[in-house]
Amino acid sequence: MKQLIKRELIALWHDPWQLALVSYIPLVGIFGLWWLFSAGLPRQLPVAIVDQDQSQISRMLVRQLQANSVISPIHYQDINQAKDSMERAKTYALVVLPFQLNRDLLTGHQPTIDIRYNSQYLLVGKLLSSQIQLSLADGLRHKALLKQLAAGVPMAQAEVNLNLVKTQVSALYNANSNYVVFLLPPILLALGQLLAMLVFANSLNRELRLNTLQEWFSLGTRRVLWAKILVYTPLIVLQGRLILTLLYQYLGLPLAGTFGQLLLAQIVMLLAVWLLVLTIFFLLQDPARVISFCTALFAPAFPFMGITFPTQEMPQLAQWWRVLMPSSHYIDTHVGVVSYGQGFAVFAQQVTSYAGFLVLIPVIVLLARRVKQANMSQAGGQPSTEAP
Amino acid sequence: MDFWSLMWADFKAIVTDKAIAITLFGGVLFYSVLYPLPYLHEVPTKQQIVVVDGDHSSLSRQLIRHADASPKLAVVGELANISQAETWVASGKAHGYLVIPEGFRRDLIRQRGVTLAYGGDANYFLIYSAVVEGLMSVGIDAGRYVQFNGLLARGSSAKQVKHDLEPIKLNSVPAFNPSLGYTPYVVPGVLLLVLHQTLLIGAGILGAGQWGREGYWQRASTMQLIFARVSVFSIIYSLFTCFYVGFCNYWYGVSVQGILSQVVLFLVPFILCTAVAGVAFSCLFTRRDLPTQVLLLISMPILFVSGFIWPLELIPAALIWLAQAVPAVPAIQGMLQLNQMGASWVGVVGFWWHLWALALVYLLLAYLGVRYRLNR
Repeated sequence: MKQLIKRELIALWHDPWQLALVSYIPLVGIFGLWWLFSAGLPRQLPVAIVDQDQSQISRMLVRQLQANSVISPIHYQDINQAKDSMERAKTYALVVLPFQLNRDLLTGHQPTIDIRYNSQYLLVGKLLSSQIQLSLADGLRHKALLKQLAAGVPMAQAEVNLNLVKTQVSALYNANSNYVVFLLPPILLALGQLLAMLVFANSLNRELRLNTLQEWFSLGTRRVLWAKILVYTPLIVLQGRLILTLLYQYLGLPLAGTFGQLLLAQIVMLLAVWLLVLTIFFLLQDPARVISFCTALFAPAFPFMGITFPTQEMPQLAQWWRVLMPSSHYIDTHVGVVSYGQGFAVFAQQVTSYAGFLVLIPVIVLLARRVKQANMSQAGGQPSTEAP
Repeated sequence: MDFWSLMWADFKAIVTDKAIAITLFGGVLFYSVLYPLPYLHEVPTKQQIVVVDGDHSSLSRQLIRHADASPKLAVVGELANISQAETWVASGKAHGYLVIPEGFRRDLIRQRGVTLAYGGDANYFLIYSAVVEGLMSVGIDAGRYVQFNGLLARGSSAKQVKHDLEPIKLNSVPAFNPSLGYTPYVVPGVLLLVLHQTLLIGAGILGAGQWGREGYWQRASTMQLIFARVSVFSIIYSLFTCFYVGFCNYWYGVSVQGILSQVVLFLVPFILCTAVAGVAFSCLFTRRDLPTQVLLLISMPILFVSGFIWPLELIPAALIWLAQAVPAVPAIQGMLQLNQMGASWVGVVGFWWHLWALALVYLLLAYLGVRYRLNR
């Protein structure tokens, strides 16, 4: 076995691309993606303001918006310019403070403040819509408080009158709605799964490229396979550990559970990835096509994890496809450990969801046998001593 | 070898090569179904919440009924305390909770403030926002209902009461994607990226398999080969683009506001630029299994840096600069503005010129690369 592991390590050493995939590419990928999202909390997003009233109250409302960390107001004189800036994504929302806003308020009419937000950029748009409404409502409440006080209502009662039902909202497990906490783990997981798939597929493809299938079969199909698994599983888990270190130790994101369970879950996920790659490899037997097919399968793993768009809301077909992805099984464990601090009993239950992948084992054995026979008849039918 | 037979030879090489044909024809079709698939139901509805009712009054029961009636929420259970509710959330049986304090109705009627507590599982932002938005509107309505009745009882007129409760109307309306749906949000950008990536992969595999080997490609001049290859890929991808931008956008209900002629005009440099970039990119490889791997790894970063998922204002400037070299980035930004957000041609012409400039740069790189590969 030692010899076989050495054979894998030598193969790894002589393949610069493969070496890159287990060394600096994951580093660049992980840090690059983190850097991209490193802002974490959206702030200072440009919002177009058209103040047609230019009164004390309209300026007070603009100051309210300015005071909100998410909003960065940009003034436009003309509503068409503001509209244009929104269409060009220079601003993500538009607030129109109408002409005679102040007068209508004083004379007992009900003026309307129009807000438009860019829902093509859904994340930004929804956030701005709620923040703009919050800021404006707060400013208006202040005005209403003065009105009540003027009418002779005592301060304590006036405040209650305005705020009869208060609310206290808790964002469980991610107290300040940080996007690094929300998005980065699934994105890095998707990246890690892609790297794992590529590394393993390359290691198998190398045997095809250099025409060493014969050697593989004569060394013992299963034993070489185990050597590959023993070499690459720790290497990829190391990347997983690096991701965990970045997220939960360096960045200090909240972690309710322990790393042990997560690393164990990663190993199980990797075994499932290996099974999928092996099936495709023995089925297609052509480097470029194996990679293309694996890519087609694994590339859209991220949307199917159910973090950005909830799983229960997906159509049935999408839920079935989701089950095909090892990463979607892992993410459940990840969320469970990181947020809910789940115990090993729950983990054991989650592992059983991988059971479907076991069906691949007989398929792989059958396909491998076929490849082996084809290979031997090609090589003139040399008998092999090892069973497949 | 004349130009037409060179194009024909390239076309045959693309169609008969299984790896390329699967990526191009299979990939484009497959992804047009697979990427939008999870989002077909558009918005999360009926999220399960649990209620901790400490009041057990007519008003608290009404509040619960209203919560259950909200399209965003479904009340799945009533529990005794908050820690039970948190266990339900942790086990995934519910995604949020509502706590109604003791004396809720009494305090409201006596004009004393009450506090409703909401919690939501913020591991899933879309669920969380649905739960909180749903509960917020229910809570506000409950307060209004009590105030309304109280003021009416004190002899104010209904019209006056309505005005007192809401002196200014905030009319917040989504623009460009009126349903707030997830498909119209994701699909237009992602499909352009699929076009970009599959084209680069196809051209990459084709080139990688040819350099250093004997074949028709050596019987043509460098420029001829580049132009023939760009023409073939451009023609194939014009059809794919028609399918994506024309049919898929319509099929998935994406809001389309662009003028057809302008959209076509905008897409011309995108296809040309990507095809030239593909030829240049192919010169980097001699192994047919590598182009796919490189592009697979940079797919997600390209998508995120094109700015419709995570706002450009928050992305580090260095990454944005780097992204300007990728044809998909100006193309996605320009197309979203032109076709989905109804920007004028003047508004997106910057992206258009950007694509032409990139095409020129990649043409130069392709020339150097192909000359190097053919002369070896």
